[in-house]
Amino acid sequence: MSFRHLWAVIRKELQHILRDRGTFILVLVTPTLVLLLMTYSLAVKIQHVPIALLDYDQSATSREFIHQITAGDDLDLYQNAVSMSEIEDLLIKGKIKAAIIIGPKFSEDLLAMRGLSLQIIIDGTEPETGGFAVDHIGWRAEAFANDILADQILVNGISLDSLEPIDLRIRSWYNPSLEPRVDIVPGLLSIVLGFPAFSVALTLAREHEHSTMEQLLATPVRRIELLLGKMIPYILAGLVNVIVIPVIAMAWFNVPFNGNFLEFLLLSAIFLFAELSMGMVIGVFMKSQSAALALSFLVVLFPGFFLTGIFFPIASLPEMARMESMFLPGTHYAIITRGVFLPGIGIDALWPYAIMLIVLGLAFTGIAALFFKKKLA
Amino acid sequence: MEKEFIKITDLTRKFKDNVALDSINLTIQEGELFGLVGPDGAGKTTLLRTLAGLLRITGGEVREAGCELHKNSESIKPKIGYMAQEFSLYGKLSVLENLQFFGEMYDVSPSLQKERIPGLLAFAQLTEFTDRRAAKLSGGMKKKLALACTLLHQPPILLLDEPTTGVDPVSRREFWNILNDLHLQGTTIIVSTPYMDEADRCSQVGLIYQGKIVECDSPENIRQKVGGEFIKVVTHDWQKAREIIQPLKGVLEVQTYGEALHILVDSANKRIGQIQKSLHKAKLDILEIRVIKPRMEEAFISLIRKIDQTK
Repeated sequence: MSFRHLWAVIRKELQHILRDRGTFILVLVTPTLVLLLMTYSLAVKIQHVPIALLDYDQSATSREFIHQITAGDDLDLYQNAVSMSEIEDLLIKGKIKAAIIIGPKFSEDLLAMRGLSLQIIIDGTEPETGGFAVDHIGWRAEAFANDILADQILVNGISLDSLEPIDLRIRSWYNPSLEPRVDIVPGLLSIVLGFPAFSVALTLAREHEHSTMEQLLATPVRRIELLLGKMIPYILAGLVNVIVIPVIAMAWFNVPFNGNFLEFLLLSAIFLFAELSMGMVIGVFMKSQSAALALSFLVVLFPGFFLTGIFFPIASLPEMARMESMFLPGTHYAIITRGVFLPGIGIDALWPYAIMLIVLGLAFTGIAALFFKKKLA
Repeated sequence: MEKEFIKITDLTRKFKDNVALDSINLTIQEGELFGLVGPDGAGKTTLLRTLAGLLRITGGEVREAGCELHKNSESIKPKIGYMAQEFSLYGKLSVLENLQFFGEMYDVSPSLQKERIPGLLAFAQLTEFTDRRAAKLSGGMKKKLALACTLLHQPPILLLDEPTTGVDPVSRREFWNILNDLHLQGTTIIVSTPYMDEADRCSQVGLIYQGKIVECDSPENIRQKVGGEFIKVVTHDWQKAREIIQPLKGVLEVQTYGEALHILVDSANKRIGQIQKSLHKAKLDILEIRVIKPRMEEAFISLIRKIDQTK
């Protein structure tokens, strides 16, 4: 390998990044911009979910329960229903997202310490909201039951003081965090750093479109010099984002960064090598920029959302998808970023993921070099 | 001078079902200024790309400056300067940066680059545009820059694919003056062109048609192969004149150039009076009638027609 060739390609590509506005924005601005946008839209908390109630018990206890359920901002009582058919009607019309049916023996069972006879119906077409409603109804019901039980215990002549440690513990358990989910920022990092990979996928296609590829292939430059020379500038540009984004995350979203920054930079460089190699494979096969861009969306961006364990746990994916996720650099990097940001884990614990990224990077680069021919047509 | 500097034997290249090159046999000697002429789609670009090592050789053999391209096409690359048909430099880089980039790619040492670049810039008349981005150059300047980029490593072989297409006549002339200088310095140049006046400036011309080399000779010899003489006739109504002349005895071919007709006849002396008489009879005024020497253009069209007729 000739380092003169390599450096000449790197320098030319860096000049392109800095001089071409489109590339500059895609590589250096888009990652931060998308991260801000996504954090804001994903960290929004669900509020004011409309629910209906059907009270078969009609006791003071059930009325007290209803009052407590709807006391917060999370659940709003839309209607007191009188029959199941009315609830069905409301659900079908989308007026409510969940319904609570209080059984006829609600207060009797509760006071007899036999549990809560409650039924919750949710709108399954919106599982996110439905799940939220179930969680919140559950928390409030549990808290309500605990209060009643505490009263009962008191009535039975046991001092509340002796129960206090247990009681306190229960209350701290069921204090739902309503903070925006800023913990998604580290996970998102592995998605937004896919944008430099887009650029790498485009860079070979651009040379084809501008027929500079023809001129380049006619020179004695070697394939690996060309591929690495095109990748390294985008790794450097990606690292600029790796520095900027944590600063924004800390200053703007108060995300804690407890790890070692230099180690993080090194691990990020390894990730970028793997991710950009994937972009390079796309670039080798796609001869036009539009095709390369479309494939990048399919191969880099969408799996980044669904298969890297950022939003959906990998363990819950079907087996095929689980296998695929192992081949995505983002999966391993998401573990690294989450470990570095919050618990502050270092390279001593994260090295297996770094090794996996290096293996993926070498494999992708190998595939790219294998299929990239110094020939036209 | 080495004979058979470039030797092509039975070179065949297919793209799916389309035969781009059909068993081409061609020998080019060192120091030749070889013009490759032929209509669009004849296979000029495919042949030049093959000689540049840009296409896999699937049939036949190509020996070029001691390299066997059918075995290893990479070995030829340091020895050639190749200029693609379309503008193929980096628009975001300046004139100087483009030159330096290709200098690096061809392993020209920095000191040699420093020595050669000012000369090349002057040669290509780009000295005052040294720092201008390549995208902002005029068409002619782009072509000259592309040529300069292929010359930095002083290759013994230059392959130029329609270097003057889309360039104004003044720039074309300048470009050919540069090629002539390089020819005199001993560089072997293969240039493809759709312009027949340019073919006249070559030392050797290969006519390529439907993937075959149909004629390969010096321009003078090709002109003489036409087999007949040309009479130029200008009238007010070339369409009517053409209708009258076409069926006359001894008229082999009528080519139209604007208002003028170039008529290929077996013998000019025998036929010129006959043509005049026929036109007078039809009451057409003759503005001009004279015997002309065939140019490459007439020769080229005549040769292609002959091939088409024999099919």
